[in-house]
Amino acid sequence: MFSMNNSILKINLSKEEIMIEELEDEILNQYLGGRGLGVRILCDNLKKGADPLAPENIMIFTIGPLTSTVVPTSGRFSLVTKSPLTNTIMHSNSGGFWGTIFKRCGFDALYITGKLKGEPGYLLIDGPNVEIKDGKDLWGLTTEKAVEKVREIEGKCQVLVIGPAGENLVRIASVMNQGHRAFGRGGVGAVMGSKKLKAIVVKNGTKKFPARDADHIKQLNIVAFDKIKVFPVTSQALPLFGTAVMMKVINTFGMLPINNNQKGYSRLIDSVSGEKLREDFLEDDEGCVSCPIRCGRLTNTGEMKGKGPEFESLWALGPQCGIFDLKEITHANYLCNSYGLDTISTGNTIACAMELQQRNLLKDSSLKFGKAQILCDFIKKIAYKEDLGEELAEGSLRFSRKYKGTQYAMQIKGMELPAYDPRGAMGQALNFATSNRGACHLTGYLIGMELLGVPKLIDRFSLAKSDQLALRQNQSAVEDSLVVCKFVGFALGFDFQVRFLQAITGRDDITISQLIEIGERIYTLERLFNIREGFLRKDDTLPERFLKEPLREGPSKGRVVPLDRLLEDYYHVRQWNEKGIPKEELLTKLNLIRLK
Amino acid sequence: MVIDEATFKEFRIVGKVLTDHRYNTSHSGNISIRSGGKILIKRRGAMLGFLEPEDIIETELNQQDSGIMLSSTETEVHRQIYLQTDAMAVIHAHNPFCVILSLVEDEITCLDAEGCYLYKKIPVIEVENPAGPADAAKEVPKVLKNYPIVVVRTHGVFAKGNSLIDALQNVTGAEQSAMLRYYTLLLGKPLKRDLSKEKHFSEW
Repeated sequence: MFSMNNSILKINLSKEEIMIEELEDEILNQYLGGRGLGVRILCDNLKKGADPLAPENIMIFTIGPLTSTVVPTSGRFSLVTKSPLTNTIMHSNSGGFWGTIFKRCGFDALYITGKLKGEPGYLLIDGPNVEIKDGKDLWGLTTEKAVEKVREIEGKCQVLVIGPAGENLVRIASVMNQGHRAFGRGGVGAVMGSKKLKAIVVKNGTKKFPARDADHIKQLNIVAFDKIKVFPVTSQALPLFGTAVMMKVINTFGMLPINNNQKGYSRLIDSVSGEKLREDFLEDDEGCVSCPIRCGRLTNTGEMKGKGPEFESLWALGPQCGIFDLKEITHANYLCNSYGLDTISTGNTIACAMELQQRNLLKDSSLKFGKAQILCDFIKKIAYKEDLGEELAEGSLRFSRKYKGTQYAMQIKGMELPAYDPRGAMGQALNFATSNRGACHLTGYLIGMELLGVPKLIDRFSLAKSDQLALRQNQSAVEDSLVVCKFVGFALGFDFQVRFLQAITGRDDITISQLIEIGERIYTLERLFNIREGFLRKDDTLPERFLKEPLREGPSKGRVVPLDRLLEDYYHVRQWNEKGIPKEELLTKLNLIRLK
Repeated sequence: MVIDEATFKEFRIVGKVLTDHRYNTSHSGNISIRSGGKILIKRRGAMLGFLEPEDIIETELNQQDSGIMLSSTETEVHRQIYLQTDAMAVIHAHNPFCVILSLVEDEITCLDAEGCYLYKKIPVIEVENPAGPADAAKEVPKVLKNYPIVVVRTHGVFAKGNSLIDALQNVTGAEQSAMLRYYTLLLGKPLKRDLSKEKHFSEW
């Protein structure tokens, strides 16, 4: 495919073997790149029941046809693996510059399996040259220190790195990218740690990826940048306040989870808002390749400097734990970045422990909602698996199971929920329940329509959401495979992604319908992976709280999620049977077979 | 959600009138008031003809805040009007006859007595990007310092008022005058009485 390299870089760490394999156009035509390509490669190569932390697990980093092009927000790339937190398929994408340089080195996918036998190491991709290097001096370092050390050795480069949390196989560890950017969710950092791989370094990528139809892309970009400039979300809200702008917005709808989802609304919100972050700590903003939005935050609290917090981090380490102290939350966020921890899962797991303590199931008087001073201490304990931190490092589901309080773990399929209480938006609730990687807000993001009015406003409590959600999930799989940022979708419709792909690849025959079918293929293949691993309808659920306990105050007061009804419609739309298994005719249409 | 019942009733009435009179499409147009040092404005994507309390968004008057995630795309135009004029309420609508005349005229001169009494003439301005808020936010408030309503060529009107109802009168009044002028011009006959040629009109 034009704008791709048709090349997979395969590394077997156990054998210290480096190979380059050809990637066929047929695969790219069916899966595009990014998430889709990673999902296909994982499903083709990972055996049923593989232990995610065993050498046999595979990490697949991929770029897409739009990565490293002039298309706005196209500086993104993907990671697909099997999650040690959920045992489901895990896909994730991240911004910054790593993906662009990797693509320019001449590869579409980096396939890593095995485990280094001796000392820990790091992988260097220097243009077309690839080497596994000794990393024992990096092991044990925080993510910033490790990157600093790598740059002393390798000079100008981009680095994916794990922190102590990944090294210690913490199931909520992330792979960090450019300081605060991350492949955050699902414990992917632990997978890298299990392979004794501290970092993946790229440099000297020189290949260029000009558009096949340069005039067309120029015209499209004029219109696209104009739309991004005109639309207040992309031209004002995100550049001014970063993603933290969502704090007050979600609170307005009574959907901001507080005290482990026991509440959805707080009058203290101004103390942890995007406005407050801007006023008190913002030093500068930061953007990815080809991004005019620049939502990244460079912050300084007077005591510490760093990046973030983003909305989800600010919420998870803050109100979800009953904490409204912006400085403590910001410091906690810096620490999570340093240790390589997923902020959403970390905050939620601590909040779960706080509720267990509140209900006398856990005897640890230091764990109380609102107690900001314990936050940084517990984050360190989780990263290094010290004291109670060793149990918290397993994530909220495994942790709460030990204390006989799984109903207080705000998780789905083992992964902790993001910052939207499902009781306030029925489509988003269904999205959480059916996401292939556990509680994920991004795989369908109906919040766009249900709260923000993009592309169009729909009633947030309406139950007629199944078709809409399936469409959005399919579109999202396409965006993750191209790979572009979700935020550009606020200003540009899905049709723009099709036009961009046409202009970049010269494939004028590609239609919206074809791309949506590709999205459906990706989503269904992920589902097939999960079914093979034992996931069925019983796992497409929400924590009991959202099904039975109405919120007691705020604009979503009195609501619960009628999930059975939503699921029934959704399975029908998806052509899945009553157990949630895709029907034969769907597989035939999508050219898929059941996984063994 | 932050709005009291009586104020919301006013939003709902004005939104419905604007839709029923076909000044907007199902989703276009926006209305706001200033209240308690803030702006209460229609939510982006909400339908003016069917407003619910949740569709009224609060945002800061003096600076941008997280309200812009939810508020009308043209919030910045409203904000600048409040900051630079005496407006207590603002309406943006796509009045068809005003837009039609803006395509061919540099101002809309009222020919009817009511229009002459209230407006005399309705200014027309042109901005580089008429669909986006940035250019309109710079140019519209300058005109509304001296006039109750202005037409942005090819786009629609921005009207101010002491209240939403007052602003609504300006929107509907201007459209009435534009419609009468349009049909009069279609007749192609000399006017028996041209108020615009009478005393003080040209200085207005």
